[in-house]
Amino acid sequence: MSYLYPAIIILGGIGLLGAMALFIVGKRFRVDTDPRIEEIQELLPGANCGACGCKGCGDFAETCVKRGNLEGLNCPGATKEAMQQIATILGVVAQETIPMVAVLKCNGCVAARPQICEYDGAKSCAVINAVAAGTSGCSYGCLGCGDCTEACRFGALSIDSETQLPVIDEDKCTACGLCAKACPRNLLEMRYKGKRNMRVWVACSNRDRGAVARKVCNVACIGCTKCASACPFEAISIVDNLSYINFEKCKACRKCVAVCPTGAILTHGFPAPKPAAEPVKEAVTA
Amino acid sequence: MKTFKKGGIHPPENKHASSDIITLPLPMKAVVMMSQHIGAPARPIVTKGQHVDRGTLIAESTGFVSAGVHAPISGTVTAVDKTSGINGYTGAAIVIQASLDDHNRDEAQRHEELERPVSRTLSENTTPEEIRKIISEAGIVGLGGATFPTAVKLCVKPEAHVDTLILNGCECEPYLTCDNALMTNHAEKILEGVELMVLASGVKKAIIALEDNKPEAYRALLKALDPKWPIEIVQVKTKYPQGGEKQLVEALTRRRIGSGALPASVGVIVNNVATAYAVYQAFYDKTPLIERIVTVDGNIEGVDEFRGNYRVAIGTSLKDLNFNLPEEGSYKVISGGPMMGRPVVNIDAPVTKGTSGILILEGVERAEPQPCIRCGACIEACPMGLEPYLLSDYGRLHIWHDAEALDVVDCIECGCCSYSCPSRRPLLDFIRNAKQKVMADIRARNAAPKA
Repeated sequence: MSYLYPAIIILGGIGLLGAMALFIVGKRFRVDTDPRIEEIQELLPGANCGACGCKGCGDFAETCVKRGNLEGLNCPGATKEAMQQIATILGVVAQETIPMVAVLKCNGCVAARPQICEYDGAKSCAVINAVAAGTSGCSYGCLGCGDCTEACRFGALSIDSETQLPVIDEDKCTACGLCAKACPRNLLEMRYKGKRNMRVWVACSNRDRGAVARKVCNVACIGCTKCASACPFEAISIVDNLSYINFEKCKACRKCVAVCPTGAILTHGFPAPKPAAEPVKEAVTA
Repeated sequence: MKTFKKGGIHPPENKHASSDIITLPLPMKAVVMMSQHIGAPARPIVTKGQHVDRGTLIAESTGFVSAGVHAPISGTVTAVDKTSGINGYTGAAIVIQASLDDHNRDEAQRHEELERPVSRTLSENTTPEEIRKIISEAGIVGLGGATFPTAVKLCVKPEAHVDTLILNGCECEPYLTCDNALMTNHAEKILEGVELMVLASGVKKAIIALEDNKPEAYRALLKALDPKWPIEIVQVKTKYPQGGEKQLVEALTRRRIGSGALPASVGVIVNNVATAYAVYQAFYDKTPLIERIVTVDGNIEGVDEFRGNYRVAIGTSLKDLNFNLPEEGSYKVISGGPMMGRPVVNIDAPVTKGTSGILILEGVERAEPQPCIRCGACIEACPMGLEPYLLSDYGRLHIWHDAEALDVVDCIECGCCSYSCPSRRPLLDFIRNAKQKVMADIRARNAAPKA
């Protein structure tokens, strides 16, 4: 028994000293964190995609609380309601942002682009791109190995087994741009979703001369400039045998789609065309 | 027998092609790529419709590390345009179409050049600058595969204290026998070329190194060697990658080249034996680099009919090389050796200065990769002492800074790791990817203004 009391006293004393030290340190060096940071962080998607320009979701929350406003800060991954709540927490009005979505600037599905060889190396677009032009003759088109689908943190991209091209789920896509960074051929572009999700874009990135491009892919842009002259809004420019539709100017009139000889211009979200009326037979006069 | 210490593998040699050189007729149409060397592509100086003679300069060098390009055949320039290269990517090219007259004249000229006896008329007053100028004007680049402009390599600064010139005749890649054929048939010309290179670079001695699986070439070189020349001929152990620059320097001189450094940092310059032959041709025959020896080989059925070493004009379409592709089944067409060669995506592409061989292989499909079992076979095999299993994962998972910390830039892309992996993982594919990314990052960092 004689060993018990000293032990209790010594250990209890050490414990008490430690507790006092912790108490003092805690008081002296306390960092006041704004409770709003945590609240905002909970509203963010937590994907750390970096699309807002911050290092991650935590950094975004800290930055906007530090600034006290949302100027120049927008999380494309968060819903509209979440952004409004964040604005309310900060005591500001949420800015209206134009919703954007990723589109694929290649439509060279297996049927349109004959495969000239097989590839059996590592399943990575970056690896193929560094070694050769790919399994079709097109050295600009999609390689179909899914570097973009792997990069997407929202599960918005998947490779279609039939076309071997990535498909973008527009409900899940937040236009964060991670896929565009992952694509070694820069085939993904963030564009306006458009009114009622109606949008028009050139689904090709081939910069070869028309004849060369057409030889390797049936739906290649051949740089014929028909679309540019058909566009009433001067939204289309042709650089290096490749047409580009400026989404800020495009009014989705679809005049370019009608004149494109190769069908390289794709549309999305337009209602299905009504069945064409029977052409009126002209009376043949003798 | 001399060799390098770390790593290395022994793949089946498969060197079946005979050492005779078959001269392939000149093509009627030649497509000459502007980018046949490391560095900036050459700039065309001819226009469409112009008539050019065989051996005239058609595109000039555009920078310090660049090389001129010459007309491989006489004829009319029909296009100065872009064309698809071996890997399917487009690059600038000049297309020359010969008439029958042009063709016959070229063939006669070429025949006369090949029959000409070996010249030994080096004048006492020839200066290193003169030789380097001739090499540079002939558009000679390293013919071992890296295609680095030779004149730049031979121009050594006196403060570098370069004392040894190594001629690489190892040819450690399986199947390839083009250097062997050249050494066996043209030993005298190679030695004369080496003499010129020794003069041009001002080194004390030269070492010609070849693996011990080339006794024929070794005997031919020894026979042709004049004892008063400062040239040594050394046999090294047959082990892949014996022909790697750093490995060969270590094997012959026991000097270790540091990370990211060039052989000149330890007083050595390394050139291929085929480059020495090209130097001879440029100096004595006044022929620029417009032809090279290409090995055509493989393991497909009926390969015996066409396997061999061919003297081919640069710009000849691969299709015009004398081989038949199997009519059915899958096979691989590789430009270069099976270890480091590149896939041929476009069989219409022309032969370039760096095309050492065309291999047609079947039954070499890659197996489905299995998980890494941490056996360390890749580490044992790596001649650079790297950790390929880690580097590969960093490359696959885009962890660039860790890859950089483990010296991914030292990788020589020899492929020993992928070859030795029992799980058949595509290690080199991802390491190469990481290496390119890290090198680009380092360049960007160095280019950025210092804060």
